[in-house]
Order: sequence, then structure tokens, then C-alpha cells
Amino acid sequence: MQKILLVEDNEMNRDMLSRRLQRKGYSVVTAEDAEKGLLLARSEAPDLILMDISLPAMDGWEATRLLKANKSTQHIPIIALTAHAMVSDREKAVEVGCDDYDTKPVDFGRLSEKIENLILEKKLS
Amino acid sequence: MIFQSLSIKRKLTLITMLTSSIALILSSVSFLIYDLVAFRHLLSQDLMTQAEIIGYNSAGAMEFKDEPAATATLSALTAKEDIVTAVLYKPDGKIFAQYFRGNKTVPALLPSHLEGKGYRFDGEYLDVFHDVTLNGEHLGTLFLQSDMRQWNQRAKRYANILIVFVLVSGLFAFLVSSKLQGLISKPILHLEDTMRMVSTNKNYAVRATKSYGDEIGRLIDGFNTMLSEIQQRDTVLQSTNGELKTRTQELEEEVFQRKQAQEELLKAKHAAEEANRAKSTFLANMSHELRTPLNAIIGYSEMLEEEARDTSKIENIQDLRKIQSAGKHLLSLINDVLDLSKIEAGKMGLHLETFDVTQITEEMVTTLQPAAAKNANSIHVHVGDDVNTMRGDVTKVRQILFNLLSNACKFTDHGTVTLDVDQIKAGEREWIQFRVSDTGIGISPKQKENLFQEFAQADASIARKYGGTGLGLAITHRFVQLMKGRINVESETGQGSIFTVQLPAQAVIETTESGLSEGSSDISAALPRAKTDQDTILVIDDDPSVRDLMSRFLTKMEFNVVAAANGEEGFRLAKQVHPLLITLDVVMPELDGWTVLNRLKNDAELAEIPVIMVTIVDNEARGLDLGASNYLIKPVNRDRLANLVEKHRVAKLSSITDADAGPYSHVADGSAGRKTTGSRIAKTRRN
Repeated sequence: MQKILLVEDNEMNRDMLSRRLQRKGYSVVTAEDAEKGLLLARSEAPDLILMDISLPAMDGWEATRLLKANKSTQHIPIIALTAHAMVSDREKAVEVGCDDYDTKPVDFGRLSEKIENLILEKKLS
Repeated sequence: MIFQSLSIKRKLTLITMLTSSIALILSSVSFLIYDLVAFRHLLSQDLMTQAEIIGYNSAGAMEFKDEPAATATLSALTAKEDIVTAVLYKPDGKIFAQYFRGNKTVPALLPSHLEGKGYRFDGEYLDVFHDVTLNGEHLGTLFLQSDMRQWNQRAKRYANILIVFVLVSGLFAFLVSSKLQGLISKPILHLEDTMRMVSTNKNYAVRATKSYGDEIGRLIDGFNTMLSEIQQRDTVLQSTNGELKTRTQELEEEVFQRKQAQEELLKAKHAAEEANRAKSTFLANMSHELRTPLNAIIGYSEMLEEEARDTSKIENIQDLRKIQSAGKHLLSLINDVLDLSKIEAGKMGLHLETFDVTQITEEMVTTLQPAAAKNANSIHVHVGDDVNTMRGDVTKVRQILFNLLSNACKFTDHGTVTLDVDQIKAGEREWIQFRVSDTGIGISPKQKENLFQEFAQADASIARKYGGTGLGLAITHRFVQLMKGRINVESETGQGSIFTVQLPAQAVIETTESGLSEGSSDISAALPRAKTDQDTILVIDDDPSVRDLMSRFLTKMEFNVVAAANGEEGFRLAKQVHPLLITLDVVMPELDGWTVLNRLKNDAELAEIPVIMVTIVDNEARGLDLGASNYLIKPVNRDRLANLVEKHRVAKLSSITDADAGPYSHVADGSAGRKTTGSRIAKTRRN
């Protein structure tokens, strides 16, 4: 079973997304802030991380940068989730090292396709 | 001459005096001469009578040789003052008796010889000879001499009178002419005064007074007429001047007011811009705040629907779908409002890339199948053979097509929605034309007027019946404008509608870089697009079929292709897109391939871009000399080209990976995502 780490501060969204991912057959661990997300990324070794960008204290960009800088976590694919749909966000996502990026509200079908692709890619490599 | 410079008064006086004086003198002198001549004649007659008398009286004495008697007779002449000498000659010429005034003997005055009877003037004297006879016997000759004293006195007196007369009459003439010259000189002098007044005071109201009806009178009349003419014109001129002054003042005032208004407008504009910025910020924030709860609503309802389906609670499914559709509608509304506010704030930039038109259209049709099915419509797509790739903002093209097609599906029931895509040439440019036609309810002329206005759905009832925000067409319109394209609608009520959008086949960004980085609300955001420019290949060839073939071939290999028909354009595009590599033809009109290659390699910015020569000219040495990376001879071996291109791509990627050690690491083998998307939609081409 593939394990997904969901870092999301909004409780409803966290609950909803994790339940839908579980329905899809993934095991989901959740974190409500970046710090806890970083800890879980190391301890749980998820197959993929869904990273909300607008987080309290440390934001998702910074968290992604740290994850990608760390040898033990840099191989984990990260999909950034932003509410702002700007080209600059896309560029920023590339810059900090996200593997993909999607906007909220999430089109679940599209998001799960991206998740599948990234996990598949990681396996193949 | 002095005369000429004299005043007219003097001239007139002088002329008059001169004329009258000359006439006077001439007449007086002639009269004097006449009188003197007549008087002399009278004197001579008188003297001859005297001689006759004396001769008669002394005849006896002569007869009788009575000398004393004769002398006595002669002495009687003392009474006659002017007789100077009287002598009686005997016939033999000897003096018989004589008389001299004052008894003085002046023999010198005596005539040298006796002459016959008569008188003669001898210098100052008048001499008379008279024969003394008695009874017919000649007794001797009487000689009388007068000194013409009377005549001389008379002449002297006359001369004096003449001089006095001339002087007096001259004085009179002067007085009279002085008085009378005014008749002529006065009006002239008056005219002169008037003229001076006019010229010094610029007073055109004065008039010269006319005294007589003569030539001067007419001159004054003419002068006055001229003056009134001038006065009239002066008045008109002054009134015009006045008007001009007033108008100038008015204009100045107007300019001032306009300036003020302009300043106010500028202030208002700044305020409005500020307000608009605030509005945009507010909308951006609002949309974010709205999206988060919406995220939950849509997500939970979708989840519940899945659960309901799993647990076969069919009765709940319909309601959950309603929640979902309401949420999605709300989401699209928010997105539309956000898009529009971004367009209005000027923050909507273009993200240009080269993409496959067919792929996009197929994608859109697939997306819209459910919407079409809802009203039992069928969608048909026709893509022209010449349609290949275009360069533009793919997200906006997608959204334009989505809006037009979803509208067509929405307003058509049990009908057909057709999408025609063609490449056309209008003016100098190539355009891609999308034509969406339906067999729906159509649009009335009145509705057409504000079809592209924000929040202006054709009818309020339409919103109730068909839903929608009324923003779709407004956004479509704005997007088309943003991409420098054209949109046009043909429709009649009940006859269906045809929306035609023409977009430049090769869009060019005119704004600065900042326009690029500013966002678009890209819902289907995906990472791979961020590095598309790295995959661009520039094809420079004057042969359109070669360009087409190369484009197709390279597009298949997952490259963006930019094509240029000549060297100049190629050079410009190279500067603009910085392609991964360039393929270059040699034989081209104007700028040939060698020149282009030379220029590329001598440009610091472009020298690093590898160039593959693709040509019929067999001169590999020259090409490589000039800096080409590879040399292919037409007809090109496709595998060879593919190999070369792939090599360059790998080389480029590895250099980036080395430099960045980051995000692109998965890309070399990670085009899986795109391939999946591509293969999902089967390409159908019209034949």
C-alpha cells in the first residue's frame, strides 16, 4: 500500500482529502503544520507528499526546500497545492524543487492522476 | 529753384502780382510813348506856327532892311521860355537879325547851312526853318530853335507818375491777390491740415470742409469718401480685433479650465487606479477565502456521493450531485470574477508557447462531451489539413474554446455543435481560425449589442433557465483582445449562432517581462510547461513544405517548433525564443544561410545555440567552418535528424541538471505525464 503524507492546516480539507485518498487505497498520514510534516516525512518515509503552501509559521515552499535539501527525503516526490493560481506560483514550485503542482480547490480526479504518475515514475527510476 | 519751394500762398500772390505789374507797366509805357510822340508833334506844329507869325511880323522889317525892328520882333520871343535861338537870315545866308535867350551868343548851335522849310529834331533841340515872304517875294529865312524844355519836363513828370502809379497799383494788386489767393490756397491748406490730423492722431472721424464745387471741392469730396471708407474699415477692424481679444481670452480661460479638468481627471484616474488595485487585491483575497470552504464542500459532497454509490443509497446521490454542481458553479463564478478583475487590473499576462492545435481541440471536445450529452447534442470537429501548431497562450486558447463550446452546448437542445479549425492568411499574417457553430436558440440583434459585456446575459430569464455567470463571453472577448486576435458573431433568433475567433498563428509578446510572470488562473496547471522553451527548435527554411514536414516531425518528438520563412525572421525569432537548437537552410532569398549562420555565431547571445544545416548544397566544410554543429543534406534522413536532435536535447538537459541539481532531474525520462495526456485523446483529422 502506497503511503501519502498530507501537510494541510485546514482541518476540513485535511480530513476530506485524507479520507478520499484512503478510499482510493492509499494509506495517509497527516500533518497540520510544516514542522510536523518534516518530522513525519523522515519517520514515516511516505511514497509521496502533498504539500499545502499556505501554512502557518513555516510555509510549504520552505518546507519543500528543506525536504529536497535533505538526503533522506529528497527522493520523495512532492506535489504543491496552492490556492493562488498564478504563473509565478508555478515558477516558484519549480524553483523550490516541487515535482508537480496543483491548485485548490482540488480536482480530485486530476490530482490522483498526478499522484499515480509520480509514484510510478519514482518506481521506474 | 526758389520759386518752386515757396508756399502755395506766396506763389499765388507772386503770380498775380507779376502778371498785373507786367500788364500795367506795358500799357503805361505804351501810353507814355504815344503821348510823348504826340506831344512832340504838337510842339513842332506850335513852333512852326510861331515861326509863321514871326516871319509875317518881320517881313516888313526885312523888306525895309529895318534891322532894329526885326530884332525887336524877335525879342518878343522872350515870352517863350523854350525858344533858345531865333535868327533871320537874308537870302544870301547872312544873318539879318538874331535873338538868343539871355542874350548869350551860342554860335555853335547855329545850323551850318540853311535848309528848306520844315522842322527837324537835332539832338536835344527842335529846329524850324521858315521862308519869310512878302507878296510872294522871298525875303529871307527864319530859324527858330527850341530846347524842348516842355517835352522834357513832361516826360520827366510822366515817368514819375508812372513809377508812383505802378508802385501804388502793385501794392493794390498785392493786397487784392493776398486776399483772393485764399480762395484757392485755403481749401488746399485745410485739406493738408486735415490730412496731418488724420495721420498724426489716427482719427478717421474728421472730415475736410468743402467750400466750393470746383476741382478742389471735388478733391476734398474724394478725400472725405476715402476717409469714410478707411473709417469704416477701421471700425470693422477694431471690432474684429475686439472679438479676437475676447475669443483669445475665452480660449485662454478654456485652456486653463481644461488644464484644471485634466489635473482633476488625472487625480481621479489615480484614485480610480488605486481603487481598482484595492478591488483586485480584495477580489484575489476573497477568491482565496472563498475557495477554501468550497474545496471542502465540493470534496465532501464528491466523497459522500462515492460512499452513497458504494452503499447503494441511491436517494442521496441526486441531492449530493446538486450540492456538487452548485459548488462547481460557484467556483467557476469565482474564477471568472478573478479572471476579469485581473484583466481589468492589467495583470493578465500572456504565457506564450508553441502547441499542437489539434491536440487542444480534441482535448476540449472530450472535456465538453458530458455537457453536450446533457442536452443530447452531438459535437463535430473539423481541423484543416494545413493546421498544425500555433504559438500562443494555450491556457487562454483552451478557455476561449471551452467558453464558446460550453455556451453552444448550453443553448442548443437535440442539435449539433460544430468546431471548425483552419489556418487562414489575412494581411501579412497567418491566423488560426476557430469557428464554433450551433443549431441552438440563436441571438437577437438587440442581444448581440452587449453580448461581450460583463454580466450581460442575453436575458435575465436565460440566467434562470440556463445558468451561468454572464462572464464567459466577456472573458473570451478580453482574452482574444489580449492575444491580438478577433472575435465575431453571426446569429439570428432561432437560427443558431456562429462564433468566429481568429488568433495570430505566431503570437508575439509586446509587453515587458513582467507581463510574462504575472499570473493566469491556470486551473489545469502542470509543471512540464515551465520548461517548454528549453525544448524549442527553430526551423529556418524558405520552403513551406519543408517547414511543415520538419514541424510535424519535431513536434512528434515532443519539441516546440518555431518556424521562420527567411533569414531575417529567423534571426529575430532566435533572439526572441532562444531555442534549444536551430535548423538552417542555405539557399534562401535575400539573406542566405551562410550569412545567417555567420550572424548567429557572431552574436554573443546566440553563439552557444547549436545550428544544424539542412540543405541541398553540398559544402559541409564551409558549414562546419562557419560554426555549424552538424550538416545534413536534403532529402534528410529522418533517423539521422532524430538522433542529432535527441543528442542536443540530452546535452542541454545534462548541463541544466549539473547546474541546478534539481527539478529537471526527472524530466529526461519523465515525459510520461504528457504522453499519457496525449494518448488519451485520439487525433482525428479531416480529410
